[in-house]
Amino acid sequence: MKEKLKKINDYEWLLPKESRKGMNTDALLVASKEVIDAMEDEAISQLTNVSMLPGVINPVAGMPDMHIGYGLPMGAVGVFDEKEGIISSGMTGFDINCGINVVRTNLSHDDVKDKMKELIAALFKNIPCGVGSKGKIRLDEKQLDEVLTKGAKWAVDNGYGTKEDLENMEENGCMGGAEPNKISETARKRGKPQLGTLGAGNHFLEIQKISNIYDEEAAKKWGLEKGKILIMIHSGSRGLGHQIASDYLKIHGDAAKKYNIDLPDPQLVCAPASSKEGQDYHKAMKCGVNYAFCNRLIMTQWVRETFEQVFKKDWKSMNMKTVYGIAHNICKLEEHIVDGKKKKVYVHRKGATRSFPGLPVLIAGSMGTASYILKGTEEAMKKTFGSTCHGAGRSLSRNAAIKKFWGESIKKELAEKGIVSQSTTPKVLAEEAPLAYKDVEIVVESVHKAGISLKVARMIPLGVIKG
Amino acid sequence: MKYKIIDKITSDVMFEVYGKDKKELFENAAEALFSIISEIDMVKPEKKEKIKVKGKDVKDLFYNWLQELIARVDIEEMFFSKFEIIKISDKEIDAHIFGETISKKKSGTVVKAVTYFNFDIEKTDKGYKAVYSVDI
Repeated sequence: MKEKLKKINDYEWLLPKESRKGMNTDALLVASKEVIDAMEDEAISQLTNVSMLPGVINPVAGMPDMHIGYGLPMGAVGVFDEKEGIISSGMTGFDINCGINVVRTNLSHDDVKDKMKELIAALFKNIPCGVGSKGKIRLDEKQLDEVLTKGAKWAVDNGYGTKEDLENMEENGCMGGAEPNKISETARKRGKPQLGTLGAGNHFLEIQKISNIYDEEAAKKWGLEKGKILIMIHSGSRGLGHQIASDYLKIHGDAAKKYNIDLPDPQLVCAPASSKEGQDYHKAMKCGVNYAFCNRLIMTQWVRETFEQVFKKDWKSMNMKTVYGIAHNICKLEEHIVDGKKKKVYVHRKGATRSFPGLPVLIAGSMGTASYILKGTEEAMKKTFGSTCHGAGRSLSRNAAIKKFWGESIKKELAEKGIVSQSTTPKVLAEEAPLAYKDVEIVVESVHKAGISLKVARMIPLGVIKG
Repeated sequence: MKYKIIDKITSDVMFEVYGKDKKELFENAAEALFSIISEIDMVKPEKKEKIKVKGKDVKDLFYNWLQELIARVDIEEMFFSKFEIIKISDKEIDAHIFGETISKKKSGTVVKAVTYFNFDIEKTDKGYKAVYSVDI
């Protein structure tokens, strides 16, 4: 498929709809040649599959962190007409509202460097992580309904976080229209014991130092200062979200048959956007989205409390405010300009982040490498339906990574770089070894040069906890 | 051999599972799953759970069986290491599964779900072979 890409400029490539029979739209790839050369050809084919679905809006967009996913690649955006198009549980992915919260501090590296081991150990103790630790919050049925409908507002109402945190989150931490009766009993049971847990896999909590500022004005506005310490929390909707996704994969499999939707890949199961199956999923998905917003804010508050314990200061005096909270696995009804006219469309962002003009975009690097805060742009609205990349993107399978990098040696290597790490098993560190990912620097360079999000700050890790 | 891991997908783990009959295939598939979720060799089969799973056909049943096991980890907060299928048809399983309460010491990683990527069950001259992958 790569040979059919047509260069628009150094960072944008077009795969015209004539490239493969059945494509309804073009596909756009935002990436440098270096990134595309390393990209799996199958991931590009997956973009063409999406362009074959009904009601798809031009173009299907791939980001520089793109790699093979289920149906829609990770690091991609599929947009569909509100009436003629589809909604797809497969395209949104298993981890509904996997995303990031970033919290700033007024502490500098000197303030924390002698305390890093203590801080990481305390965070590891205070924030349940991995598949082996139990959550600290047990919700009853009524509380769960409130979390699903109110999202992060439930956290604030119950003493976790503040109203100001909500102001600095995508959707203010709550998507309206969530309907708990659209999720299964199993999803509820999985959700009740897990609120306020980090999870495992690529989820992590990192203490970072701002190493570079590229946009003084935006940095000042968002309280970012070179040398200061930030905390990044990367987590999602946990078992509840995974269950909603799994349940609706089946429902959408049946719906695709019922409505005679020709699926180029069985993993792209979907339902017409206006159908009951389509709308039911969206209402259920919002429950998962809200759970995840709430989950990250609760952990944000525990991070603050842990800093209070370790530094013997009030979190407010350490200025530990939310810089921003954002989702990178979600399907949203948004208004975009299509063929010169405003139109409501369903935007599936899978491993992709919202990039709206002037708003923060949070990019997680792989463990041990840099992360970024970017600024959304008008260019993104024009080219990628207000979307950009989400992280580094894997380049090695988890199993291959375990074989190649043994966890203990990774821990040692991180320590040599001055990074303190703690995980439940060494294997987790190996799975998420930095070399198992694409270079975040060239990923960010691609989106910056293409103008779909601009660099504001770069952070380097000082300490990490993983499940 | 009960199962092996195939290196095919970048983000996840794919298994090839074998069994002389359906019962053994399903039990081995469960064992493969918990080799990722936990340090299965360390997990003591000290607590028993009963499960019943239904499906439209054998493939659907296989998928639902694994999904049910994944859900049980979150719901019961247990790791499982021993799987005894009492009764199996193409549409229904009755099983006893054994394990212990989750702990950091014996943990592997979170399995989000079974995916339909290359998902298949086939009959071979030695019995059955299944391929499934999990999103982690």
